[in-house]
Amino acid sequence: MSTYVFLFDLDSTITKEEILPKIAEAINKKDEMRELTEKAMVGDIPFKNSFLKRVEVLKEISIEEAKKIVASVELNSEIVKFIKKNKKRCYVVTGNLDVWIELLMKKIGVDKSHIYCSKAETENGYLKQVISVADKELITKQFVQPIVSVGDGDNDSGMAKNSEIAIGYGGVRRIANSLIQNIDFAFYDEKKCAKFLEKLL
Amino acid sequence: MKSMDTTVVICCAGMGTRLGIGTTKSLVSINDKPIIYYLINNLKEYDDIRIVVGFQAQQLIDTVTRYRKDITFVFNHDYKNTKQGESLSKALVGTRKYILVIEGDVLINNNHFNSLKKIESEFIAYTERKSQEGIPVMIDDELIKKFNVEDSKYEWSGISYIEKSKITKADIYLYEMLDCLLPLRGVKVESIGIDTPSDYDKAVNWAITNIRNL
Repeated sequence: MSTYVFLFDLDSTITKEEILPKIAEAINKKDEMRELTEKAMVGDIPFKNSFLKRVEVLKEISIEEAKKIVASVELNSEIVKFIKKNKKRCYVVTGNLDVWIELLMKKIGVDKSHIYCSKAETENGYLKQVISVADKELITKQFVQPIVSVGDGDNDSGMAKNSEIAIGYGGVRRIANSLIQNIDFAFYDEKKCAKFLEKLL
Repeated sequence: MKSMDTTVVICCAGMGTRLGIGTTKSLVSINDKPIIYYLINNLKEYDDIRIVVGFQAQQLIDTVTRYRKDITFVFNHDYKNTKQGESLSKALVGTRKYILVIEGDVLINNNHFNSLKKIESEFIAYTERKSQEGIPVMIDDELIKKFNVEDSKYEWSGISYIEKSKITKADIYLYEMLDCLLPLRGVKVESIGIDTPSDYDKAVNWAITNIRNL
């Protein structure tokens, strides 16, 4: 048995659709959101700036409603199955907000101590402000055990750099150019990706 | 080469500088289709296929995923300074008992490839000598005894089937990796590799008679 810990990006890696555009859909701001998301994913603007802008657009939706929408997004079932089966060794590393992903994480069965994400303060059931934006490169530097990471976006590059085995998953969207430069393997079929992860256990 | 025992590794990371057209060799078009298409097309029953990419990785991935998505892409980022041995070494994580290793610029006759599929033990496929750039082999009693011999009628095809446990990870040429395993069963096939512009013209004509579904 290996000593690897498995770190997963959330959007377009665990999920089959992007989360923030999905929330935006509920308040008719999907186009605005898509444009901002696209720029962040390919690395045209820094993730932190883009994320704060995107959250600002989504402030008018209640936390309860946002949580429900996030918990209803379609998932990559084979990757989720792997995470459920290997809970103790799997971690979710995402720029998304703690208050929005809470229900989804419960649904997947990821314990709070296995989630690294951005954090926000709420007031009267609405988002008040973002407290911190997760920096995946810094987060992954803290790990002691060797890392296998799976991601697709520009902000996964730092995580890939700190991984023993860095995997790009391109089954939902194109793997970001910067990430392609830092990965060891790439998959475009989730079954194939999950099978490979099994071999690394 | 039973599918359940076999991992296929296709080495496509190189720059193909000798060919001089600025494209990685597996993307070179032969009769309107890239070489990698013909290779994948021959491997329909195999479910663990790994393609090592380096130079023009994204273009190669885009091309391959148009034909088939369940491929494991392996990255050799240091393709400028390393040989195929390094590419193969990177691809070995979690592989099966046998590795069918194929160089990314090889075209093989369909019927001959189908015959290779029936073989269940190690072999090296060789072909009639076609190019000065090829690696000549010494054949004796259906065994490959030596690489890089002078005056041989035959050369290595770029296709070999080897037990994973016998592969030593090293940054050397593939034939150098195989060299320490000789003698190995040699199987004659009709195939062609593309190293130089004159090989390319030969390959285009060769493909017309040797490859179905052009």
